Amino acid sequence: MRRILPLPVALLLLLAVTAAGKNVDLVTLPDRASVQLTIYNSEDLTLVRETREIALKRGRNQLQFSWANTLIDPTSVEFRPLEKKGEIELVDTRFPGSKPQHLVWTIDSQVEGQVKVEVSYFTSGITWSMDYVALTDAREESLAFRGYVRVSNGSGEEYEDAQVRLIVGRINLVEKIAALAQRRGLPSPPAEKSALFNELKKEGARAAFAEADARDQAAGKEIVKEGLSEYFMFSVSGTETIRHGWSKRMEAVRADGVKFATVYRLREHQYGPRPVRFFLWKNDAEHGLGGSPLPDGRLRVLRTNADEGLSVLGEEAVSYVPIQAPIEINLGPDDRVDCETVAGATRRYDFRFDHRPARVVGWTEETKWQDRVRNSRGKEIVFELQRVLDGDVEHASEVATRLFDYRTIETRFVVAPRGETTYPSTVVRRLGASQRQQRVVLR
Amino acid sequence: MRTTTPLLLLLLLSALPASARVKLAALPPRERVEIQLDDGRYTLVEEERIVPLLAWTPEAGNNHVDFSWANAQVDKDSVLFRPVAVREGDAFRPLKDEEVKVVNVAYPPNENALVFEVYAKQACAAKVRVSYLIRNLGRTFAYRAVADRDERFLALKTYLVIGNRSGEEFAGARVWAGIGPRLDAGPDDGDDVRLLVDRADRVPVRKTFTFDWYTHGPLSPEKPFASKVLMHYALRNDEKNGLGRFPLPPGKARVFLDDGRGGEAFLGEDWVGLTPLDREARIFLGEARDVVCMRTIERNERRPVEGNLFHQEVTLRYEIENFRDKPATLDIVEQLNRLAADYGTRPPGDVEWELLDGTTDGIALSTDRGSALPVLSVDLAPRPKEGAVEKRVVILHILLKNLW
Repeated sequence: MRRILPLPVALLLLLAVTAAGKNVDLVTLPDRASVQLTIYNSEDLTLVRETREIALKRGRNQLQFSWANTLIDPTSVEFRPLEKKGEIELVDTRFPGSKPQHLVWTIDSQVEGQVKVEVSYFTSGITWSMDYVALTDAREESLAFRGYVRVSNGSGEEYEDAQVRLIVGRINLVEKIAALAQRRGLPSPPAEKSALFNELKKEGARAAFAEADARDQAAGKEIVKEGLSEYFMFSVSGTETIRHGWSKRMEAVRADGVKFATVYRLREHQYGPRPVRFFLWKNDAEHGLGGSPLPDGRLRVLRTNADEGLSVLGEEAVSYVPIQAPIEINLGPDDRVDCETVAGATRRYDFRFDHRPARVVGWTEETKWQDRVRNSRGKEIVFELQRVLDGDVEHASEVATRLFDYRTIETRFVVAPRGETTYPSTVVRRLGASQRQQRVVLR
Repeated sequence: MRTTTPLLLLLLLSALPASARVKLAALPPRERVEIQLDDGRYTLVEEERIVPLLAWTPEAGNNHVDFSWANAQVDKDSVLFRPVAVREGDAFRPLKDEEVKVVNVAYPPNENALVFEVYAKQACAAKVRVSYLIRNLGRTFAYRAVADRDERFLALKTYLVIGNRSGEEFAGARVWAGIGPRLDAGPDDGDDVRLLVDRADRVPVRKTFTFDWYTHGPLSPEKPFASKVLMHYALRNDEKNGLGRFPLPPGKARVFLDDGRGGEAFLGEDWVGLTPLDREARIFLGEARDVVCMRTIERNERRPVEGNLFHQEVTLRYEIENFRDKPATLDIVEQLNRLAADYGTRPPGDVEWELLDGTTDGIALSTDRGSALPVLSVDLAPRPKEGAVEKRVVILHILLKNLW
């Protein structure tokens, strides 16, 4: 980046020390030599680290840093010499009351000449997000999975040729950066940011910034993923220019030939009265993934119909998927698979009565049920049924059934192509005063 | 379909300007447009275009392809740009080793546009497919059914109706709605188009007559024991009955009757729900006036069991007359849960009951819809050519058990 004046963020070397605090300064404008953005998606927060070459004279120097019309947190701005560290000392940082969005560093230098320094700060207004596209083959047996990172810059500042790093994970902030930016340079209250956050800021991000400035690979940005404490960092290879107001979307995750399972689930308490179709696979090496967690994002599932174009199968918000964790995508109801639940005969017995006059206060009720699952598809399907049975319940079926929890039964069976499978069950409930428990027992 | 439209543009930019977006661009026309309407929640458009690309060099960098639209309801986040082939001689061949690849896509502020940065190993003409979801381009389904004079068969036509209010022109685009063939019949903006997607000329149909006292109540103050008899056509969505090629989608069905003289009489219309394969669709035709049913409770006796627990013995009597000149089958739906509620505080769940002697012999009784919802099917003879119409009496004798 070699442009100087149009940038709202400027670092000025004040040539007349006594001029500090006045409205007219004589200054030099050192260029940015490089800039790195570390963008967090859990908060509206970006750590900007820029390096500049400044000329220092021996003795006391003053540097003015200003950030008009941006969303920079003034309490976060830090100065650090990258060379001759023992000979350059930051004496103080002042926020002139007459100049909002300015600060002045007083620096004592034992050296004279050009020195490389680093200025880092937090800004808001830069965000990133993920979205995913899964493209299945025509037979819906395997898919091409792509994850895209989209970086949006609304910070008010242009960041040209910036190294971009994206942090996956949740951090804690006690104050929003956008709010701090509006304080116009007033010092913040005592720093109460979480220890985790400070650790991340000081060690993780900085340590990770130390390498990688290779020339862009023309055929595409590689996004390097690496673990960082409880977080994950996606680093875009080379540099990117993201202008104010623009967004940029880059491929970050790629896997082809991902085999997935199709399962139909009937869970009325969770998904409503119709069976819904799920595509299941894992974020692991076996499925061509597992290189990193998958951050929150929207996944759109499409099917390619060879030369006949694409079909949309559904879309769903994916929440963070750790490495090795399953990925379950709900595509919604499928018109070709339906389930009909029919109540059979009911019988009541074991009545209990209270006294004078005798009234029914407790009884046992037995009902036979049938769930008829019809598969109109041309291939076999796996069907999972989960049902909540409240009360004091005994459940019996000739089909293998297990308890998902104390009140939820679960079964799984296969339905042949163009076939129907019936899941018969008998539910015995003790009701009224006969109810002793709140749970299901399998018989 | 126009080869280029004023609304959706795919521009090959000579360079991406730094700030102001003044464009010098080639305009590759659409080679083909597919509209996928198979999922009612989404409409996906896929365009195929031939895009000339320059080879990447360190000096020139990559190609920038601008996809923009005006006044069209394109979902910006859904746009996919897929290079699929490159020209070799006179033909296109599939891509090899990522010789053409999308590097990134940029979203300019305050514009309905995307800029794709595309790498090409060599200068080439690439076949690309650009797909996106578009709003206000949707579809519905409609049916036209013509019954033969004897009402034993239906000629059923299924129509796809596409309405385009998306702001984009799609005349001639290939359309697929998940059923039937793909049709080159996309509509222009503001247009609706109705397409025949399936026809079955001879679908066996069963005309049903249904009596359901608790749903419809008394017919009138003058006829307090009679209730409506509703007519439906029932047809099974399977291959044996000339259907079964796809689940019948929800839509409005208009039913006509062949009058046998080359004309048709309109019988009515109904919304048909989603009918999966091998399931029955029912088209409501209206109220039958020539099949009359009267329901009375002939006998009603409580049998104490213990304390406030009792059984209720009920004899239901149905008097049915068929004034039609054709036979009919009347389905009598008896809602036993509601009947039991007339006698006591019905416990939660279905009523417990049993059929007693005295129920009319030879009546089909089905509990397919649930044990507490038995359906009696009564076959009725046509009205005699001479003499009075027979009054058919059916008795349902049941014991509602363990009420209190």
